Amino acid sequence: MSAPEPSAPPTNELDSIRRWLADLRASVERKSDGLSPEQLAARSVPPSSLSVLGLVRHLAQMEHFWFVKTLSRSDEPQLYVEDGDWDAQFRGAVADQAVVDDAFATWRSVQARADEVLDHLDASDLNFVWDPEDRIGSVRDVLLQVVYEYSRHCGHLDLLREAIDGRTGE
Amino acid sequence: MSDMWLPEDQDPRTQGNPQGEKATYVEYLANYRLTLRMKCDGLSPEQLATRSVPPSTLSLLGLVRHMARVEHNWFQRTAQATGEDRLYWSAEDDDLDFNGVEPTQACVDDAFASWQREIRKAEEWLAGVAESDLGRELPIAGHPDDVVSLRDLVVHMIEEYARHCGHADLLRECIDGRTGQ
Repeated sequence: MSAPEPSAPPTNELDSIRRWLADLRASVERKSDGLSPEQLAARSVPPSSLSVLGLVRHLAQMEHFWFVKTLSRSDEPQLYVEDGDWDAQFRGAVADQAVVDDAFATWRSVQARADEVLDHLDASDLNFVWDPEDRIGSVRDVLLQVVYEYSRHCGHLDLLREAIDGRTGE
Repeated sequence: MSDMWLPEDQDPRTQGNPQGEKATYVEYLANYRLTLRMKCDGLSPEQLATRSVPPSTLSLLGLVRHMARVEHNWFQRTAQATGEDRLYWSAEDDDLDFNGVEPTQACVDDAFASWQREIRKAEEWLAGVAESDLGRELPIAGHPDDVVSLRDLVVHMIEEYARHCGHADLLRECIDGRTGQ
């Protein structure tokens, strides 16, 4: 579907990852643009329990997990997942303006914290592995995991949005 | 989405904690090619060809044809400037990959054979790329004024597979209710 950014300036690995991440965040913004709280909370592809709003909450949780809890080693509790109740992030995505405002504000504030973490990384950090026995892998692996998670959820958003109002495209 | 598609001991995907940039890309690509294949497992030609999330025209079989085309477009037409035409494309129908799907075993066999062939060719080419060469830029096939670095080409393929695996998640759930990463 999407093509790599044409005529992009020569990049190093970190610049490249950051550009992909920025594109994907912008894609989520477009996919959620102009929708009412009811549309944002709609389970528009049944039997799936996914909604646009549920995914925005999940993406906030996901960025927080990888950038804040993993890369920054913070022991803050996970966002929208209380007592290990994973589905709460999706179940709690209800058609209420306050819930919508909270989700987008939280997602954007996590992005700002994530960008700060990225600002402090350099190329020599990418091969760093905390624990070879751990499933987390290298810093590079974490960054690609974030790009992968965003992309897969953008695939969900494509179909959720088209089912809401017929809108398609990147 | 917290659940997995298969029990861990049956999952063919790897978590090898690869070292280095290229090895990491290679593992990601291999795993998400497998993920799309797994999302198609156990379905009939009719199910694979079903546009199960209307009004979208996407189907799992359309996605397999599309990924054969995308692998060929980036790893052959762009990376190796082969000058070949696109796969599953015609001047009259740019979406022939999706629109030309038929609920037949022949269409399924053709799509999976093309896809697996393009994956093998892509893997062969990528195996010969040196890590130090990932920043090299190439003109994009069909867009001679635009360039892409080898790095961005490969990361784009990972992102492309991931996005289409997202489509496949919902297409499959609407066919038979099966979910999982």
